Amino acid sequence: MAKARLIGDRTNKMMVQAMERRATDVRGRVFHVTLLVTLLISLFILAVLIVDVVIDSWGFLTGRPGGFLSGTMRSLSDDPKLGVHQALVGTFWIAVFVAVLAFPIGIGAAIWLEEYALKNWFTRFIELNIRNLAGVPSIVYGLLGLFLFVKSLEGLTGGKSIASAGITLAILVLPIVIITAQEAIRAVPQGLKEGAYGVGATKWTMIRSQVLPYAAPGIFTGTLLSMSRGIGEAAPLLLVGAVSGRLGSDSGFFDLSSVTAEHFMAMPVIIVEWVQNSGRDPGFAEAAAAAIVVLLVFVILMNAAAIILRNHFEKKRG
Amino acid sequence: MRLRKLLVLIIGLMTAFALVAAACGNDGDDGGTTPSTAGQIESGGESGDGSQSAAGDEAPAGSVSGSVTISGSSTVEPISVRVAELFEDVQPDVHVTVDGPGTGDGFKLFCEGETDISGASRPIKDSEAETCAENGIEHVELRVGIDGIAVMTGESSPVECVTFNDIYGLVGPESTGFGSWADAGTLSGLATSSLPDADLDIYGPGEESGTFDSFVEIVLEDIADERGQDATTRPDYNANADDNVIIQGIQSGDTTFGWVGFAFAAHASGVKLLQVDGGGGCAGANADTIASGEYPVSRALYIYVNKAEAAENPALTAYVEYYLSDEGLGTAVSDVGYVTLADDAKGAARANWAGR
Repeated sequence: MAKARLIGDRTNKMMVQAMERRATDVRGRVFHVTLLVTLLISLFILAVLIVDVVIDSWGFLTGRPGGFLSGTMRSLSDDPKLGVHQALVGTFWIAVFVAVLAFPIGIGAAIWLEEYALKNWFTRFIELNIRNLAGVPSIVYGLLGLFLFVKSLEGLTGGKSIASAGITLAILVLPIVIITAQEAIRAVPQGLKEGAYGVGATKWTMIRSQVLPYAAPGIFTGTLLSMSRGIGEAAPLLLVGAVSGRLGSDSGFFDLSSVTAEHFMAMPVIIVEWVQNSGRDPGFAEAAAAAIVVLLVFVILMNAAAIILRNHFEKKRG
Repeated sequence: MRLRKLLVLIIGLMTAFALVAAACGNDGDDGGTTPSTAGQIESGGESGDGSQSAAGDEAPAGSVSGSVTISGSSTVEPISVRVAELFEDVQPDVHVTVDGPGTGDGFKLFCEGETDISGASRPIKDSEAETCAENGIEHVELRVGIDGIAVMTGESSPVECVTFNDIYGLVGPESTGFGSWADAGTLSGLATSSLPDADLDIYGPGEESGTFDSFVEIVLEDIADERGQDATTRPDYNANADDNVIIQGIQSGDTTFGWVGFAFAAHASGVKLLQVDGGGGCAGANADTIASGEYPVSRALYIYVNKAEAAENPALTAYVEYYLSDEGLGTAVSDVGYVTLADDAKGAARANWAGR
């Protein structure tokens, strides 16, 4: 009773305040402006980064755009054969591995956790661990990849190969995929599910016809953003066989043998290497900026695909 | 369904992106001339290499194919890469892969038989050699170049030349807390030059770096032993793994102090390379003084080759022979900014390889 009266008193007070207040809501305005400033700060930082990188790389990219995409790792920055082809092939295949492994496993795990698992201590324990895994530093996943996929499963992965790197990064993004998919599934209105049961649907039919279509936009956004994060990782790749100096082979994009070949290259690693090389040969700073632009374009294309998929499913749902 | 069209467009774009790069990837051989073979420091002379002229300028009689795996020092890495690039024009079917995790990590892989060649910025340690021997891996040591360590200060510093004792007084283990150059003279029993009473900010590579080890070994170790101290530096300086950051640090003041590999220092502006007196008088750091040993703070760079692999793998043998030719020890070493060996040292490396 006392509590109810307290709430009643407070409501009264707020009403009185609201009526006595001046016409313009100063605090609301300040809040509004503060939010706008935070948005502008993050946009400004992003713009500075992009403009800086594009300016640095301009000479390199306009000078020989095709050559840069088809070239390989070289020791001198003015070498006409310098380029990111090997690294693009590596990153392309790593993205394929992440998509093929992390997405089905992650979405499946999320469906189980949300729709099938009993809400008991064991499920909560699993969920807690998944959330913790999402915060583990990427280098730890690199060590896992080194011992599990490079050493123990060498026969399957080919050792220090793109396959090992792809599986390692798939595991790295798996917790994020599970968490975002869970959130999307949780947001499905209870009424939809009950309606499906009401017309006699089985659990599986209900999930397939109601839950998944409704949750699809959220699942797509989350999974593809996590993929963008995955292919930007450099640290774990250095442990599982990305080279820093020179890669002997330069295979095509659709050459499957390159997937299990010993050693590989990837875009984030080549950026790190070239930045380090710039102390010895300053021209590598421009090459690194150009490689960043190539990686940005790759990621933007991927995100664009994600946004279009999401819009498509949202329309279907609407 | 406009959206579906857009989606098709995006996927098409990604595929096109991939295809363009894939299509261009196969015509990599049209690059024509290799760049910058001009910047050769080498003073010419065929005197020392009589035994090895076959590995020299002429293309070998037959073409070989195969692969060579190299790991080891990140300092030696660019030389091995450059040699591989030049070698590619002679033997396009030999695939050379080069990694540079560090000298110690390289020897670990080498002694497990994982790599054919290991680059090193110091000679192999006894413990590492034992591991190799236990695993039945025999190696041959070849000196391939020299890396000087530049000792530097700010551009307008009044200091011109420092002795090993001065450096010990500035950054040695007993100098912890010193904030002025003149403090170096306060260590008892250490004869130093007269250094100015000016702010001392120190920048250098961290303990994990090969350059740190070499610097301690060449400059500080003997003095520290004599004085009963650990062979290391003072802990309170700005340590960084990135040579660019070190050089920026040294640029940031007039009387800063720091050291970094000569290959990095040679390109730096806004810093002054100090002359160093290692007992034989003040000597400035440049390609000539480093090659002759006149400049005292320098170290040799090595490659270690797995003997059994060399006997079995003609690609490896051909690569090492090319490495030891004038293209390797001369052109490649100077292309990437290191100092080439003197002629007799080149001859010694070739003799080592021939007598393996």
